[in-house]
Amino acid sequence: MNLLALALAAAVSLQAPSSSAEQGGGSAAEPDPPYLHELLARAHALNLAADTQWLRLGHWRRGLGGVESEADGSAFFLSPRGKTDPAAELDATLAAFFAPPSAEPDRPLGEPQRAEAMHPQCRFPARLSFVASRLGLDPARLPLQRCPRFEAFWTRVQARSVTLIFSSYYLNNPASSFGHTFLRLDKVEGGARDDRHELLDQGVDYAAVTDTSNALLYAVKGLTGLFHGQFTARPYFYKVREYADYESRDLWEYDLALEPSEVAMLVAHLWELGGTWFDYWYLTENCSYHVLGALEAAAPRLQLLSRVGKVVIPADTVKAVAAEPGLVRAVRWRPSIRTQFQARTAGLDAAALDAVEAVARDPAAPLPAGLDDVGRARTLDAAADLVDLRHGKEIALESDAHALALRQALLERRAAIPVVSPPLVLQPPATGGPDRGHGSARFSVGGGGSEQDGPLLALEGRIALHDLADPPPGFSPRTRLEFLRVRGSFATRERRLRLDDAWLVDIASLNEIDRFDQRFSWRFRAGAERVRDAGCASCVAGKVEFGGGPAVVTLGSALSALATFDAELAASPPLAGFRGSAFRPGFGPTGVLRLLGGDRAALLGTAAWRWYPEATPRDGFTLGAEARVHFPGASLALEVRRAPRGTEALLWTQLFR
Amino acid sequence: MKRMIVALALVAFAGSASAAQATLPAKGGRSSYGPAGCGLGSLLFGDQPGLVQVLAATTNGTFGNQTFGISTGTLNCGDSAFGTKGASLFIEANKEALAKDVSRGSGETIATLSHLAGCKDAEAVGVTLQKNFSTVVPDGSKADVEKTLSTLKSDKALACNELG
Repeated sequence: MNLLALALAAAVSLQAPSSSAEQGGGSAAEPDPPYLHELLARAHALNLAADTQWLRLGHWRRGLGGVESEADGSAFFLSPRGKTDPAAELDATLAAFFAPPSAEPDRPLGEPQRAEAMHPQCRFPARLSFVASRLGLDPARLPLQRCPRFEAFWTRVQARSVTLIFSSYYLNNPASSFGHTFLRLDKVEGGARDDRHELLDQGVDYAAVTDTSNALLYAVKGLTGLFHGQFTARPYFYKVREYADYESRDLWEYDLALEPSEVAMLVAHLWELGGTWFDYWYLTENCSYHVLGALEAAAPRLQLLSRVGKVVIPADTVKAVAAEPGLVRAVRWRPSIRTQFQARTAGLDAAALDAVEAVARDPAAPLPAGLDDVGRARTLDAAADLVDLRHGKEIALESDAHALALRQALLERRAAIPVVSPPLVLQPPATGGPDRGHGSARFSVGGGGSEQDGPLLALEGRIALHDLADPPPGFSPRTRLEFLRVRGSFATRERRLRLDDAWLVDIASLNEIDRFDQRFSWRFRAGAERVRDAGCASCVAGKVEFGGGPAVVTLGSALSALATFDAELAASPPLAGFRGSAFRPGFGPTGVLRLLGGDRAALLGTAAWRWYPEATPRDGFTLGAEARVHFPGASLALEVRRAPRGTEALLWTQLFR
Repeated sequence: MKRMIVALALVAFAGSASAAQATLPAKGGRSSYGPAGCGLGSLLFGDQPGLVQVLAATTNGTFGNQTFGISTGTLNCGDSAFGTKGASLFIEANKEALAKDVSRGSGETIATLSHLAGCKDAEAVGVTLQKNFSTVVPDGSKADVEKTLSTLKSDKALACNELG
């Protein structure tokens, strides 16, 4: 039985054959040339090339230069003009469906296969479904080909429903705050996780094929579209190992309510996309963009990409999906190993925590007396998670013999206790997932005054993403990741609009030091800032600043304190810097204190002192305090800043978009 | 002409990926068993400097062999079918996590393995594997494919029918 015919039948309803000729046998029947003309005529009459689904299947977008497809591999187009001409591509596609059977047989799934070697029907099963559903297809006049390779993929995937997965941030890597999205094609619809055996479902994602290990080249190529992006499919267990285990990222799973025909179209379209590549643009056409694009092509009733801006942040695409009425059927959460470890140690007292640490360093260490088998098992389970947190990658790479031996000894000790560990039942964070996060862009208006300039009106805009006092839901509580934050103020006394700050990037990673993790926190920022001491007469100086130090978090994560030692370099022509030059290096401590009032309020205090060697003045300081109250979609902030030049106080209204 | 070049590039790229896959040294000195190249060490992690790993979080590019390209890639490690082959691949790709679950006598990897092997009761599988930990996880804190499967097959009470 021709599986392609089955697949199509699942996707559309085929027109009944007009004769009793054998259908679906593959190459037995001959294609009927006049039929092609009939189909072309019908397609033109219906103006099918302008159909929303056709345009989405070809990923054509309207731009300044006209219509152009985002797909960049030429194997995606059957017409030489296909990239810029959807109508020509449709005609070429219809004609190509009538091509004689492919000369080369399909290679099995374990081997590489040239896209061009497959029959166009097998290369573009979603286009075939589209044409069949809009024009009707008579298999007696246009025989359906056997497509063993596609059929093998279809059988392997067995998709009944689709889930959008978001991998959350991981600590100590602020860049991960942007998140990542991919799709999972589920073999089972709905039901409890254990029954679903999700690990065996296929994960499909769009990612860059990176070919450089030079960090600068990597960043440049990612930003300028010089990497190729590809769709790949692999069993979900690879994704769980990669994200939840080795990167300690929680996974948020959004179960999508798609019709069976839409699910079938998605599988067929992903097959089409797999044969080509797209230029990977980190800011715009990134993983999340193309995931939405694929969903929209399979289900044209969805309006997803129209809900996200030009700069596509993965969390925003999750919000776009959540905003589509009725699309998200359920939200599930898969805790990372770090989250699991925190849950395992949450109820333990100090002696038990000491035991966990001791055993994670030396599996033969004695456990506290008076523990029964269940208690001993619990301690060893926590220690095993801790060992994985610390040595996961080395163990997977088998690069650290000591870590391997340590883990083996620990697991042997655990297995000797004849207790079966109960499942770890965790509730997802009450603050919710990325769909609950505030908008990525923030725009603020403020009013107040300063000692030297009198009444002030201030404006601030920030492209992305989150600072330490922004509403917490959906974001890492320990990360500040800001891009392009610009502030200007208008001093009514002087009637001058001037630039106060312009930060290209402002990052801080707050790692709390606890008994298990003693890594330092760090901060970095680069941009320009108005000098607020006697170094120059209120000039704007370019500045780079970085520092590291310890941080503690107490009161159940409500209170955080960070102390760093920083080095900075400011530069501006009028600046009285190092030995009179325009450059002024500075060194000194910075302290940050944050008090969170749940999701509603935040109090942030900053204090910094700098020594400017051989410059005028010799030192400087900044003190700042900010109180914020959060409402849905907006916040109110009271900010006071004090520097050698004077004090400034502003009341801000901040809007998130 | 351009398409020809692209096609050749595809072949070359896929061919090199396939060749690299074939010559990848099997980890742990095991003979070149089918799924040997599908372990996490060979697939997900490359020997990249730390900063690049950090940046990789942004593009989510994976280093190493691109074996998962849909339709034109080699998809060697994509199978998750019932039976010995699927179970072997699953064990190989999850051997570290499976070892931990075996030590605990329970866990998602055991439930999934039990499903692939067609065993009657995942909990019984967990208990049996935990009892036989030293056989199933002989060293390196990773589950051994052959020993795990033979342990499941030899315990008739588990009734793991898909293993033949």
